[in-house]
Amino acid sequence: QGGCGCPIPGGIQGQAGCGSGQPGLLVGDLHTAGELSDSSLTPGYEGWWWADLLLSSAGVQIHERTSVSHVSVQKGRVTGVETDRGHIKCQYFVNCAGQWAYELGHSGEEPVNIPLHACEHFYLLTHPLKEPLANNVPTVVDPDGRIYIRNWQGGILSGGFEKNPKPLFTEGRNQLEIHNLQEDWDHFEPLLSSLLRRMPNLEALQIMQLVNCPESFTPDMRCIMGESPTVRGYFVLAGMNSAGISYGGGAGKYLAEWMVNGYPSENVWPLDLKRFGTLQSSRTFLRHRVMEVMPLMCDLKVPRWDFQTGRQLRTSPLYDRLDAQGARWMEKHGFERVKYFVPPGKDLLDLDQSKTFYKPDWFDIVGSEVKCCKEAVCVIDMSSFTKFEISSTGDQALQSLQYLFSNDLDVPVGHVVHTGMLNENGGYENDCSIARLSKRSFFMISPTDQQVHCWAWLKNHLPEDSNLTIEDVTWKYTALNLIGPRAVDVLSELSYAPMTPEHFPSFFCKEMSVGYANGIRVMSITHTGEPGFMLYIPIEYALHVYNEVMNMGQKYGIRNAGYYALRSLRIEKFFAFWGQDLDAFTTPMECGREFQVKLEKGMEFVGQEALLEQKQNGVYKRFTMFILEDHDTDMDLWPWWGEPIFRNGRYVGKTTSSAYSYTLERHVCLGFVQHLDEKTGEELVVTTDFINQGEYEIDIAGQRFQAKAKLYPFSSLFAQRRRKDEVELSGYQRE
Amino acid sequence: MLAASCCDRRMCVCPGPRRIAIPVRSSRLPLLSDAMPAPTHLFPLIRNCEISRICSTMCYCHHKHLCCLSSHFAHGHFRYAPQKKFAALYRPKENFYQFVHARDYASTPQRFYLTPPQVNSILKANEYSFKVPEFDGKNVSSVLGFDSNQLPANAPIEDRRSAATCLQTRGMLLGVFDGHAGCACAQAVSERLFYYIAVSLLPHETLLEIENAVESGRALLPILQWHKHPNDYFSKEASKLYFNSLRTYWQELIDLNSGETTDVKEALINAFKRLDNDISLEAQVGDPNSFLNYLVLRVAFSGATACVAHVDGVDLHVANTGDSRAMLGVQEEDGSWSAVNLSYDHNAQNEREVERVKTEHPKSEEKSLVKQDRLLGLLMPFRAFGDVKFKWSIELQKRVVESGPDQLNDNEYTKFIPPNYHTPPYLTAEPEVIHHKLRPQDKFLVLATDGLWETMHRQDVARIVGEYLTGVHHQQPIAVGGYKVTLGQMHGLLTERRAKISSVFEDQNAATHLIRHAVGNNEFGTVDHERLSKMLSLPEELARMYRDDITIIVVQFNSHVIGMIS
Repeated sequence: QGGCGCPIPGGIQGQAGCGSGQPGLLVGDLHTAGELSDSSLTPGYEGWWWADLLLSSAGVQIHERTSVSHVSVQKGRVTGVETDRGHIKCQYFVNCAGQWAYELGHSGEEPVNIPLHACEHFYLLTHPLKEPLANNVPTVVDPDGRIYIRNWQGGILSGGFEKNPKPLFTEGRNQLEIHNLQEDWDHFEPLLSSLLRRMPNLEALQIMQLVNCPESFTPDMRCIMGESPTVRGYFVLAGMNSAGISYGGGAGKYLAEWMVNGYPSENVWPLDLKRFGTLQSSRTFLRHRVMEVMPLMCDLKVPRWDFQTGRQLRTSPLYDRLDAQGARWMEKHGFERVKYFVPPGKDLLDLDQSKTFYKPDWFDIVGSEVKCCKEAVCVIDMSSFTKFEISSTGDQALQSLQYLFSNDLDVPVGHVVHTGMLNENGGYENDCSIARLSKRSFFMISPTDQQVHCWAWLKNHLPEDSNLTIEDVTWKYTALNLIGPRAVDVLSELSYAPMTPEHFPSFFCKEMSVGYANGIRVMSITHTGEPGFMLYIPIEYALHVYNEVMNMGQKYGIRNAGYYALRSLRIEKFFAFWGQDLDAFTTPMECGREFQVKLEKGMEFVGQEALLEQKQNGVYKRFTMFILEDHDTDMDLWPWWGEPIFRNGRYVGKTTSSAYSYTLERHVCLGFVQHLDEKTGEELVVTTDFINQGEYEIDIAGQRFQAKAKLYPFSSLFAQRRRKDEVELSGYQRE
Repeated sequence: MLAASCCDRRMCVCPGPRRIAIPVRSSRLPLLSDAMPAPTHLFPLIRNCEISRICSTMCYCHHKHLCCLSSHFAHGHFRYAPQKKFAALYRPKENFYQFVHARDYASTPQRFYLTPPQVNSILKANEYSFKVPEFDGKNVSSVLGFDSNQLPANAPIEDRRSAATCLQTRGMLLGVFDGHAGCACAQAVSERLFYYIAVSLLPHETLLEIENAVESGRALLPILQWHKHPNDYFSKEASKLYFNSLRTYWQELIDLNSGETTDVKEALINAFKRLDNDISLEAQVGDPNSFLNYLVLRVAFSGATACVAHVDGVDLHVANTGDSRAMLGVQEEDGSWSAVNLSYDHNAQNEREVERVKTEHPKSEEKSLVKQDRLLGLLMPFRAFGDVKFKWSIELQKRVVESGPDQLNDNEYTKFIPPNYHTPPYLTAEPEVIHHKLRPQDKFLVLATDGLWETMHRQDVARIVGEYLTGVHHQQPIAVGGYKVTLGQMHGLLTERRAKISSVFEDQNAATHLIRHAVGNNEFGTVDHERLSKMLSLPEELARMYRDDITIIVVQFNSHVIGMIS
């Protein structure tokens, strides 16, 4: 997915196909083909029999033909299961109900949202060939034809993922109907055509049956696993997007680790149930979205692809204003965010033609937005950020947060602290900015998709105390990011308050008035390393403040900008982002953020021990920035993420994100470098010298580009130009 | 060479024999016959090898069956033989030009075919749809709406269509009109007939009210709300004349006040007869305005058939004069479609009609009345508006033509008197009216001129429209069951079904869809684009050889409302 995996140069056999009793595969029209050695045989239904046998011998009871009516929950924990054959007490419950997982999740008193939806899925069974297929004939997958073909009792089993899926059971409660689903030959026609195109010799083969067997799909084509954010002990493994047989083994392993250890042994955030919330649970949303997801199974996944269905669910109050100014939108956690603004008179490519792994059509547009951020001032609507308020009557809030966060939060009121929310292993569960609003209340800003996960983490870790309250205020504030050297001028003119660094140093937060609106939380951070301010505006003032900012900003050359510009600015400044670069297996020590960890802040915090140990023993991977040296932006394939990193010709890790830096006029890739022992492959400590004394290359789709590695961002290049005199002068100009 | 029998109509699109076998200007084929004293300088050109070439040009669109022209030639031969003199009056230059043109066309090696979008734009040029507006989210009318369309073969088209809602009484009027010997009569009937019907249906008080309004110069109550395609026009010049005739009609109705409620059937018959009468009278009286004078004469000397439906609740009346046809589409309980005729064709194929004509004239004329399936050997429809040549006495015809404008005198057709013309009138505009109580299974009504019925069987029409209106989902799903089917066979079957579906989705208008089938159907009953494209690429002069003007109105009924009323 996403990255540019190198095509495996497979031995494409001639027209006749392999000699092993396989009917001729027509390969004349193929560009690339590959054979995956061990994927050819997946255990089918037979696997179940073995599992049954093994489990029984381990003392596991299996109840067949038993239906679960609901799961009983007490004090937010699973206590048992009600079935039609009585109550079963349990500590853990795993909802593996496939396409009924959604309904089962909603059957209890405490609903668990498992967003998935079934689509009809057809596969064809034939009578055996005259010369039956051998058992070792591999499964043939033809993504262009949208089909798979495999041996089935000497005949063919072939199905596929059509362009026009038929979602079903949207209303739910159709367990019984699944046995009466009809074959739909007209619907199967395109797949049958591509089967016969690929294997023309099958024309004379006799049909046995066309099976209609619904499969469940999720809103982002990734399966759903993990613990429910609301009910402890309630685990889910469902929504396998038709790949259940292939993924089953690994998914089962991670889920078992999760239940036993409390976390799996790999980063599974992309699959975590908590990436979804109630907002993805609408049946209409799911029905529409899975119709887009299912055809994607066979489509080429290009970088920066946005789903087109289920959109405009959560929007900023400024949505219409921005849209009218040429905004192009992407979606994160249901929230519409601006990618960039298409200037009037400029046309972009059609959606389908814009799919590329090369330089995208928005290159110049984003470039001019970045330029404006560097030289004047830009405004970016960043309302999607997750925002919590934590407050208490006494100092419970401070105490609890000090325990949950690695940085020292006992700062003077009005300070903003950037800190990680770590797990026991020191890994990032969340990366956030926290402003101390008062002695006893804090304002916490986290990435958009943290809304459910972070909430669950706080709920689980904060003490049960009626004097300590947390509130999700995401919807209450519109966030505008004013980036650029002239942001200070705009704000001071609008507020009649001095905004210079002397009066408003960076990482500072103040409630003030902007235009007519009072109570705007202004923070001197921009999430990019550029000078500027974040404005947290109560939503009823959003339009007013935006209009004021735009009007006042005119003389400073203000313009709208989008997230792509933000991303470019952030990556060239070596800012890691949670969810892309950082995950639960990355510690602050590994990504150069020791300064955000206060090991001696006078009290214990989660992950402290692990970090102490890392501090003493060193780290085994290191977040590094690479600047591509000989990469031609116009001609070469772009890095997106997931590209292999080579040090002195040896593989040392993968990139996690990348962007074109308009300032450096180079591509910048961020990624983790490991030190693997040349002989044993054992992981060794990564030292600064190890990083600095290597020759690096980044492999983009098989082509290696020289890269310069850096552990700290450029400083001289980005020296902040102070404009103290001008600022002060402009302050008087309004008189 | 020309004596071969005609090939199957469905396979080879023979030109429908012309409705009226009078030598009009565009008839050129008789020249090929030896019986015609064609100008000598023309003959060398088309003799010998040229003839086969021209003939193959005519047939180029499909098979190389010369036979497909044969019926026409045969007709021409017999028909024109007695009237050599008219052919002789032909201007040879024109014919020469036409032949040269045709030959040029054949000698062009690369064939020009229309692309699917071009075909669509031709087919959709005249399409019109009307949905009965809903009140409160409910449509209380038994009619959901209608689709109509026309495809010309003549230039200009001689078919007309009309649709209107009666405002002073309930009900909706829809009609198709097929003109012959020009479009003047069809045009006049399409403008005027519905007013005559509406007036015939009006109660006494409303008539009085209208008359008083006209008398005192007050605004008139609107009688009809027309549903017109932009190409459907009304003649402005004649409106005053038409209005006066109509007013005379209602004044007579007021005087006659029978006090009885108006019977729809009677009203329809009266309206038809009255309008035809007015057309005849206006031509006899003439008009001081020379343009109008010529117009009323052209209307009277040309002819038109009419097939009109009046729908009011569950009461459906179809009044028909001539050989256009009304057909009801009925959905059987198993979902299949069947056709019910709601009109009788008035032509030689209708024995009752032949019988009627014979009883109206003396025994001595029995042989000459119907020849070559034509009235007096000339006219295909046995009932029609206008056509005063078949209605007036010879003296009247001569008097009117002589006193008429010069253009009329120049026209050979108007001067010529039908042979064996002894006891006029031979023709009437009186319609046959069929009343049908709509049932929930009656899903739609098709009104169409003979251009459609010549190429398609009504059963096919019912199926194609039915499947179109209900969507293709009613196509029976395929199940393999226990049958032995190979992948190849199944693939073939599915591809065919898909072709059928895609042709349905191309059209938003049931009438357009029907025309697409009528013109483009291949032997399997599916639309063949290549064939469609060839047929529509025919040059103007040739088009009429392969098809007639087609005009179709498809009225869709509201089964819910019908179910509730009945």
